[in-house]
Amino acid sequence: MAQKTFRLFLTFILVSSLFGGTKSEMKAQKINLPKTVGSWTRPDSPRRVTSQNIFDYMNGAGELYVGYRFEHLEVYEYTSSQEDDILVELYFMSTSDDAFGLLSLDWGGEPVALSDSAQNKKNQIQPQSIRALYGEGLLRIWADSLYARVMATRETPASKKAVLSLGKAIAGDQKNPQDPELLKALSSQVGSDWKLRKDRMSFFRSYLVLNSIYYLSPQNILSLDHSAEAVTAPYEKVNKAGDAMRIQVLLVKYENPERARKALDHFHDAFLPEHRKDIKPDSTVENPSFFEVEEGWLGYQLKGKYLAIVFDCPDQESAQYIINQNVSNLSKMEE
Amino acid sequence: MTKKKRALTRRDFIRGTIGATFGTSLVGLNWSKAKGAAARSSLVTIVRDENAMDSNNKVNTDVLQRMLEQTLIKFTGEKNVKDAWLSLVKPSDKIGLVPTPHLNPTHDEVTDAVKSSLINSGIPEGNITNAQGRPEKPEACTALIGLPGLKAHWLTGIGTVLKLYILYSGSPRSYHEQNNAKLGEIWNLPFVKDKTKLVLVDALHPLCDKGPQPDPRYKWAYNGLIAGTDPVALDTVCLKIIMNKREEMRGEPWPISPPPLCIEAADKEYGLGTSRMENIKVETYGWKEGLLL
Repeated sequence: MAQKTFRLFLTFILVSSLFGGTKSEMKAQKINLPKTVGSWTRPDSPRRVTSQNIFDYMNGAGELYVGYRFEHLEVYEYTSSQEDDILVELYFMSTSDDAFGLLSLDWGGEPVALSDSAQNKKNQIQPQSIRALYGEGLLRIWADSLYARVMATRETPASKKAVLSLGKAIAGDQKNPQDPELLKALSSQVGSDWKLRKDRMSFFRSYLVLNSIYYLSPQNILSLDHSAEAVTAPYEKVNKAGDAMRIQVLLVKYENPERARKALDHFHDAFLPEHRKDIKPDSTVENPSFFEVEEGWLGYQLKGKYLAIVFDCPDQESAQYIINQNVSNLSKMEE
Repeated sequence: MTKKKRALTRRDFIRGTIGATFGTSLVGLNWSKAKGAAARSSLVTIVRDENAMDSNNKVNTDVLQRMLEQTLIKFTGEKNVKDAWLSLVKPSDKIGLVPTPHLNPTHDEVTDAVKSSLINSGIPEGNITNAQGRPEKPEACTALIGLPGLKAHWLTGIGTVLKLYILYSGSPRSYHEQNNAKLGEIWNLPFVKDKTKLVLVDALHPLCDKGPQPDPRYKWAYNGLIAGTDPVALDTVCLKIIMNKREEMRGEPWPISPPPLCIEAADKEYGLGTSRMENIKVETYGWKEGLLL
C-alpha cells in the first residue's frame, strides 16, 4: 500500500514537473502560417532548433539568440517553382522584452503595421513603438514574446507581397506589450543640447551583444547574464558646423542591489584599474564618480539595483549632467 | 602569490596595447614563438567586373571565369592560367578547396570555376576535394585553396579569411567569446600550417553588417575577386572595404563592432602576415567604381 502511494506520488511529481517545465512553451504563441502564399508553399512541419543545436543551424549567429532568453526556433522554407525561396524563422523567446531586444539591435528599414488584433483594440493598447521593419526582402517582427525574420532570397513585387502577408499571419493576433520598462529611464533630451538617438537604442542582456553595439571588453566585465536587463544608446550634440559629438549611455538593472554593487566593483577593477575606487559595500545610493580616460570622461553611479554609466563625454560637466538626469529617472522607477 | 590576470578592455584597444594580453592557446600551440616575424610586403590583387552578376544578383559564369583567369595571371605574374596554377600547386598535390559553407556562403559558381580551372590546368579531378569541415579534411590534403565569402561578423568584426578555418579547431564555439582574437592560431596547427597556396575571396556580393546571418540591406554588388597568399593582408584589405562601405551606407561614422582583434593578433602574435596597409601592395584591375579603397 505504502509502495503504491509512493508510486502515485512519484507519478504526480513527474506529471507536475512535466507540465511545469513546459509552462512557458504552453503559453507560447501558436502561429498558424498559411500552407500557401502566392506561388509559395511551405512543408507540413517546421525544422525545430533549440539552444542545443542552434550552432549547427547558424554557427556563431546562435550566440545572439542564446544571449537573450531563447526558448526555441521554428524554421519554414517556402518554395515556389517561379520564384526564389522565402525563409521564415520564428524565434520563441521567454519574454516580450527579449523579442523586443532582438528587433532593437537595428531600427533600420521601413516600419510596417501588421497587427490588428481585436484584443488589442479592446484593451486600448496603443503600440508605443515600431513592431515590424521591412527592408529589401527582409521583414523583422516583434510580436509579444515572438521575434520573427521573414526573408525573400530575392526581392520582387510578388515576394514582398508574400513576405508582408506572412508577417500579418505571424503578428496579426498577437498582443502588443509595452517596450521594456528600463527604456523609460532614458530621457529623450538632456538640457537643450544632448538628444537621445532613439534609432540607436538597444535592449540586451549579454556582453557579446553589448560588444556588437559598443565595444567594452572581450570579457564579461559588467557581469551581465539572463537575470540582467540593459539598455544603451548615444546622446548626440550637433554643433553649428554640423559635426556630431556623442556620449554613450548604458543603464543596467541587476537582480538586486548586491549584484549591482559587485558588478560595478568588477567593472571598475577591469576598466579603471589606475583610478581610486569609492564603492561602499553597504550603501544603496552611491554618489556619482567621474574619471578622465582615453576617449574623454567616464562617469558611473549606482542606484539600488540599477547602474548607470556614461562614456565618451567631452568634459566632466556633461558626464555629470547626463548621469544625473538618467539616475533621477531610475530613482522614479525604483519608487 | 600569483598576480590576477588583467582583463582586456576597450581602453587597451584605443591605446593600441591589446597585443600583450591574448593569453594561452586554445589548441595547445606555443604560438608566441611566432612573435617578431620579419616584416614583409604582401601582394593583394582585386579584379572586378560590373557584369559579374546581373540585376538579380545571379552570377555570370563566363565573366567570372575571365575574372579568375585574370586574377591568377596578375597575382602570379605567369603568362597563362596553367603556369599560374602550377606555380602555386603541383599536379601530385591533394588539393582541398575551402569555401565558406553556409550563411552568406561562397557562391557555388566560384568554387566550380576554381575546380574547372585546376582540372583544365592538368590537375587530376580526383586530387581535388572540398576540405571545409572537420580537422581530418585538411589533414588529408597537401595543399589548400581558401575560398571565403566577404562578410562582417557580429562576434569577430570580420568573418572572412582568418575565420575560414575555424572548424579545423574542432571546437569552433570556443572562439566565439573572449578568444576570438586567437583565430590566427588555427592557421599554425601542424596539419594546416604552410598548406595554403592561395586565398581567393568571393567579393561578388559581400555583407557589411549583421553577419553571419544574411540581411539583404547590408549586401551589395561589389563584383570582385580578391586574391593573395597572406591571410592577414587579405583580411586587412577586406576590412577596409567593409568599413568604407558602412560609412558610405550610413553617411556617418559606423565603426565595426567588436573591432576585429584577430587581424592584429594574426600579425603580431601568430606571424601569419601583415596587418599594416602601408606594407600591403594592392593591385586593382577592371571596374573602378565603388572600389572602396
